[in-house]
Amino acid sequence: MGITVIQIGGLYMLYMIGSFIQQLLHIPIPGSMIGMLLLFLLLMTGIVKEKWISRGANMLLSHLTLLFIPATVGVMDYVELFSGRGIWSIVIVIVSTMMVMLFAGFIGQWAQTREQKRVREVKGA
Amino acid sequence: MIGVSLLIWTIVVYIAMRKLYARFYFPLLVPVATSTVVIIMTLSLFHLSYDQYMIGGKWLVHLLGPAVVALALPLYQHRHTLKQFLWPLLCSTFFGTIIGMGSGLLFARLFHLPEKIVRSIIPKSVTSPVAMDIAKLIDGIPTLAAVYVMIAGIFGAMFGPILFQRLHITTALGIGSGLGAASHGIGTAKALEIGRKEAAISSVAMTLSAIFASLLCPLLLLL
Repeated sequence: MGITVIQIGGLYMLYMIGSFIQQLLHIPIPGSMIGMLLLFLLLMTGIVKEKWISRGANMLLSHLTLLFIPATVGVMDYVELFSGRGIWSIVIVIVSTMMVMLFAGFIGQWAQTREQKRVREVKGA
Repeated sequence: MIGVSLLIWTIVVYIAMRKLYARFYFPLLVPVATSTVVIIMTLSLFHLSYDQYMIGGKWLVHLLGPAVVALALPLYQHRHTLKQFLWPLLCSTFFGTIIGMGSGLLFARLFHLPEKIVRSIIPKSVTSPVAMDIAKLIDGIPTLAAVYVMIAGIFGAMFGPILFQRLHITTALGIGSGLGAASHGIGTAKALEIGRKEAAISSVAMTLSAIFASLLCPLLLLL
């Protein structure tokens, strides 16, 4: 438990560093995202070892849902936005989601089928 | 006092709703949706406001930043999958993100939705904490963004597999990219029901989409 808390503290520090960089450079990218990219680089270069953060990171990620429940509860203050025109926003979100799903799915399908065909040709030759 | 008890109540409801979902595995029952509904009902029953709820709730929100940082871990763990399928994954998530944000923006403008809603719809395809941060940066409403993210996740997980079946998208790369790019964490949970490889690809696709959305969103609004 203690280790997990310390590791979460470490992740929090990276988040703070990310936010600091964002404010310093005035870039419109979330500080949390900068922190994530930073951690990814640190892991890839071996400066930070996976086990230094894995317990804290897994704790946060497996309960990610709990962390944004307070945010989604906030919708109670915006109920009037969904009356009238606002209701369309839900339809828009669903349609747009299906478009992304199809497009990304097709590209993935195409790439993997092509790869498999190539492997088969190489083997056949 | 109210803050602490509501915080504890949130955790209790979350645990119960997780159990419920594990029992039935139906997308409409994803814990974030059911927990939100139960908590809103509790608050209105006791005539409590959202501000009162957030006295305790803000402690959970504070952990969202480090949770986004933590997403580097699965990306690192799946680095071999990432390397193996680097270009297809970059292409599908890059263009997927553009289509997701672009179509959201376009449709919302076509339907003359209020500007605050338009700006909250744009980041809906990426994982909640990132979408909320993006919404904050582009003057949307983070809370509303989180709700749209939830809708994108639930409906993607519900209809995605049927869609893939109809259109003969059968490979791990196709299914994983689709679910991850369109429906983030909820989609990835669905992908895990299909297979481990699908889930690995989905979680990489979800993280890449979040990165692209963070980079592209500010640019999109300049148009």
